[in-house]
Amino acid sequence: MTRTPLPRCPNRLDAIDGSRAFDEKLLDMIVGLTSELTVLRARHDALERLLVSGGSIEKGQIDSFEPDEEAQIEREMLRKRTMRKIFRPLQEVMQQDLDAAKGSDR
Amino acid sequence: MSSSQISEKRDKLEHPLIAVPSHDELVEQLFVRDLKVFISSELEPIQAQLAKQEEGALSESETNSRVSHLRERMSAHESFRTWLSIKRVSQRLLWANVGESVERQADELEALARIENPIGSVRTDPSFQVPAYISSGDIHLMPGGNAFDDNSIMQGALMDRGGAVYMLGRNGGMLNDLRGQTAMAHVLTRFPDFNPERILDMGCGIGTSTVPAAKCFPDAEVHGIDVGASILRYAHARAEHLGAAVHFSQQNAEMTDFDSASFDLVFSCVLFHETSQDATFKILSESKRLLRPGGIAVHLEVPLLHDNTDPWRELAGELEAEYNNEPNWRGALTADYRSLFDAAGFTNVETGHQPTSQNARKGPFRFGTENEGVFRSWFIASGQVG
Repeated sequence: MTRTPLPRCPNRLDAIDGSRAFDEKLLDMIVGLTSELTVLRARHDALERLLVSGGSIEKGQIDSFEPDEEAQIEREMLRKRTMRKIFRPLQEVMQQDLDAAKGSDR
Repeated sequence: MSSSQISEKRDKLEHPLIAVPSHDELVEQLFVRDLKVFISSELEPIQAQLAKQEEGALSESETNSRVSHLRERMSAHESFRTWLSIKRVSQRLLWANVGESVERQADELEALARIENPIGSVRTDPSFQVPAYISSGDIHLMPGGNAFDDNSIMQGALMDRGGAVYMLGRNGGMLNDLRGQTAMAHVLTRFPDFNPERILDMGCGIGTSTVPAAKCFPDAEVHGIDVGASILRYAHARAEHLGAAVHFSQQNAEMTDFDSASFDLVFSCVLFHETSQDATFKILSESKRLLRPGGIAVHLEVPLLHDNTDPWRELAGELEAEYNNEPNWRGALTADYRSLFDAAGFTNVETGHQPTSQNARKGPFRFGTENEGVFRSWFIASGQVG
């Protein structure tokens, strides 16, 4: 079933006195990035521990891994998802600029 | 706090409907929780110290409205502005994470929400007029807001899981039900033999407080009202999974379609600070209209921290309200509930603090003036009709 995604941007984000709106976008990106990094490290840690404890790999074997074509496509999708997530605030602020510019043209 | 408080597997949960995070989603939820704890325990104390310095430097002429002058001075500090920003960023990350997690398991949740032979019901109203205090800003920054509806249960699923992470497990873990338990414990503290036949929970959300009312008074007919169709559909399915017979309907607590004098107990949990001063008065009048002679109104709010002697504490509350979209924070914290209850026509009015209850039937059965602190006690105003 294709669903319409739930909204992601809340209605009403009051300006912070003395701040440039863009400062918060930058902070948002840094927090998003830190979160991604934290998730990635936890996943990597889980995987490696599971594989080593199950005898599937030996410690250090991941370092010599080379992805095949299918894996490369899937890894590209993962990279794009990360990109969209981290740079969403940039996209938002640019869209706001564009909307404002369109509004002032009328 | 152990991570297990927000990491249960579906089969070990007290109800299976709540969205269960994947490994990555859970790690991010724990990251959000840890970030929020870091902000409040590591960053906020530094801001508090900064505020003390600025307070000391306030001139004689600035002592009249200390909070607004303090705000002006604090706003000149980049670190203060960054602290405000990172709080909001952490909140937005929470909703983004839970939104993705909920959408990933949409089909499974929708299937779980299809209830055969329900013991309760849900009634939505396509022509419902959303009050301005709901539509003017998304409460707690939950994208779409409490009234969002896409004809599914998804906004309710978002509110349920998001609320549990937001409360950091301090309000009854995944059930998030301690406010409801506390409101019912209050009823039993003041009126130990009270045996209501009909109960109404105003602003019930996904029913976190309605279900404990139904469990506390299993023979009563229990109703819950709120503004969002999606959250009500979810509330219905959730209550069914928890074995509670509750009748949910989409209504404005200021003017419901229930008959006059048709309830024995009308209550709300943390509703007023999400409305307006005008709505608070109307909700109290409506509570009075709905109650039978001898009926009881119980309205629970955040422990009132209004304190003229501590401008930083007051400013921090004001900022939380403004940047986390709590439309009536100041109004709810400064209201004179005794006068409001009196004006609405209630008798036997009491205001005070009820210690947090894990199980309404087990107490603690004490109610008094002592505020035991955030999450350890709740402010309650209650009164009777006739």
